[in-house]
Amino acid sequence: MATGRPVVSVYNCENPAEKTSTVPMPQALLSPLRPDLVRYIHTNVSKNKRQPISVGAKVGYETAAESWGTGRAVARVPRAPGGGTHRSGQGAFGNMCRGGGMFSPTKTWRRWHRRVNVTQKRHAVVSALAASSLPPLVMARGHRIGQVAELPLVVSDSLESQTKTKQAVEILKKIGCTEELQRVIDSKKVRAGKGKMRNRRYTMRRGPLVVYNEDNGIVRAMRNIPGVETACVTRLNLLKVAPGGTLGRFIIWTEGAFKKMNEMYGTLKSGAPMKKGYHLLRAQMENADIARIINSTEVQSVLRPKLEAPKKFALKQNALKNKSVMARLNPAAADAKAARAAAPAAAKRKAREAASKEHNKKHKRGEDTFYKKLMRAFEAKAADEAKDGEDAEEAEE
Amino acid sequence: MAARYAIKQQALAEGAVVPEQVKLKLARDAALAEEKEKAVVEAIKAQAEQREALKSRTQQYEKEYVETAQQLVDLRREAKLGGNFFVEPEAKLLFVVRIVGIIKLSPKPRKVLQLLRMRQLHNGVFLKVNKPILQMLKLVQPYVTYGYPTLKTVRELIYKRGFGKVNKQRIPLSDNAIIGDALGEKHGLYGMEDLIHEIYTVGPNFKQANNFLWPFKLSAPKAGFNKKRHGYCEMKGGDWGNREEEINALIRRMN
Repeated sequence: MATGRPVVSVYNCENPAEKTSTVPMPQALLSPLRPDLVRYIHTNVSKNKRQPISVGAKVGYETAAESWGTGRAVARVPRAPGGGTHRSGQGAFGNMCRGGGMFSPTKTWRRWHRRVNVTQKRHAVVSALAASSLPPLVMARGHRIGQVAELPLVVSDSLESQTKTKQAVEILKKIGCTEELQRVIDSKKVRAGKGKMRNRRYTMRRGPLVVYNEDNGIVRAMRNIPGVETACVTRLNLLKVAPGGTLGRFIIWTEGAFKKMNEMYGTLKSGAPMKKGYHLLRAQMENADIARIINSTEVQSVLRPKLEAPKKFALKQNALKNKSVMARLNPAAADAKAARAAAPAAAKRKAREAASKEHNKKHKRGEDTFYKKLMRAFEAKAADEAKDGEDAEEAEE
Repeated sequence: MAARYAIKQQALAEGAVVPEQVKLKLARDAALAEEKEKAVVEAIKAQAEQREALKSRTQQYEKEYVETAQQLVDLRREAKLGGNFFVEPEAKLLFVVRIVGIIKLSPKPRKVLQLLRMRQLHNGVFLKVNKPILQMLKLVQPYVTYGYPTLKTVRELIYKRGFGKVNKQRIPLSDNAIIGDALGEKHGLYGMEDLIHEIYTVGPNFKQANNFLWPFKLSAPKAGFNKKRHGYCEMKGGDWGNREEEINALIRRMN
């Protein structure tokens, strides 16, 4: 947001160290900055100086070529007629053919120019002018304004009646533009690209824009200074005030021009006297200090308190295996378990098992287990049979 | 609500002058902190009370289960003494498990299985035994197996694989508060044991309790099924249909 300084000092042209008077800042220079608008207007308005180009209307078709049709073992493309030269029988007409016309030949009646709403154009100019009075933006655009006393830089009216370039340069240097002018001179280079053979041989940076009210020689004086451009206040051009669509051109005002801004653009309440039906650009937010708005009592008193996030759940654990989880889910679980352990049934069983163990210890069967008894019976039978056999043998003998 | 106020501690430089705005914020935070403390104390007390109440109810339920079981035993003995027959009470609760996958199912059984909330293989749900449910089960007989679960089965299912439908999401039953919030006010079920009791004894709020439970996603049975393409009651041995009490053994293998 443009932080308006209500009053701007005017510097004496002859002796730029001293300030002659002060002028209040015109409302137009306190407009909101709209880089989006400026860029849009600039891209459209910069198309308006274009000259139409196209390829020649008949290019590629100035042959009497005809297709040979099918059945001749060649492609069906139209071919140049006749004989006796390389050209005969070669393909013609198509964009794929050598020497043929291009696809969709460019036409001169392409829409080269763009119309832009007048109000939008005016808003863009006003926004760009507001940006030019902010040092950070002007510096960001690349101008060297280290030595300049203040922005916007307003010089007394005697600047308008300079006729000699030499003196104009001196004045500019005294104001603090030495570095700026030097920057422009140093930046003169041959253009990269085909432009150099199309009468656009050199490029260099843009220097200050001098805005005047009445031309009493200033234009001619400053015409030849590299980088310096002049503009009359009543006919400001966006392409000069925001070159490249970027905000923050370094502008040097004359006192008359600065004062004329009020007459031209007026204030937010009144319309613009010299621009019929135009009202200055208004900001989207009156008070853009969001932090202060949020922390104000009006807002804070109506807010509900901040809440902690609800508890997040970890992995599910099996209550049937995990005692602590079971205790959480079933408060009676621990008691029930203890009761079961203490119950008479459990005690009886334990006693029974203990008694059984005791009994077994005392009455160890040793040789009298079931299996051993069983096997002894077999042995006894075998022994008896063996004895019977012997007896029978003895009896036989 | 007040128990969850998030109060950030303001970092105050020692001895430095405190700006106006910061003073206001400190005052507001102090008031909120007081409220929060009180609310937290109250919340803890309320929770303790709930737990006590749940505990006493659980013990009451335990007694109830033991008594009903004992009653049945007594009645059987009495009948035997008198030489009469004791007619076992008809089952009230069914547990149904889906046996069949989703491929190539005819539309009617498919729809019925959807209505019974068994959309996936080995999904299980509790169902009330009444005429309409039995009719529906007739339609899907070859695709499910079902029977009458015992208390142990019900408890194990709900403790191990119990998930609740909270806000249309499948939330594990890791805390009694989940059940209390969903079913407490309206239906008087504040914890796991309440839920189990409602399901096992098919109480007046069975519908809501059962619907709260997300369908159980059981594992495939250890040692497998017998033959899924035949019915349980057929001679050649199979799996689908009503297997009455023997569903418990199956669930033991699937849980």
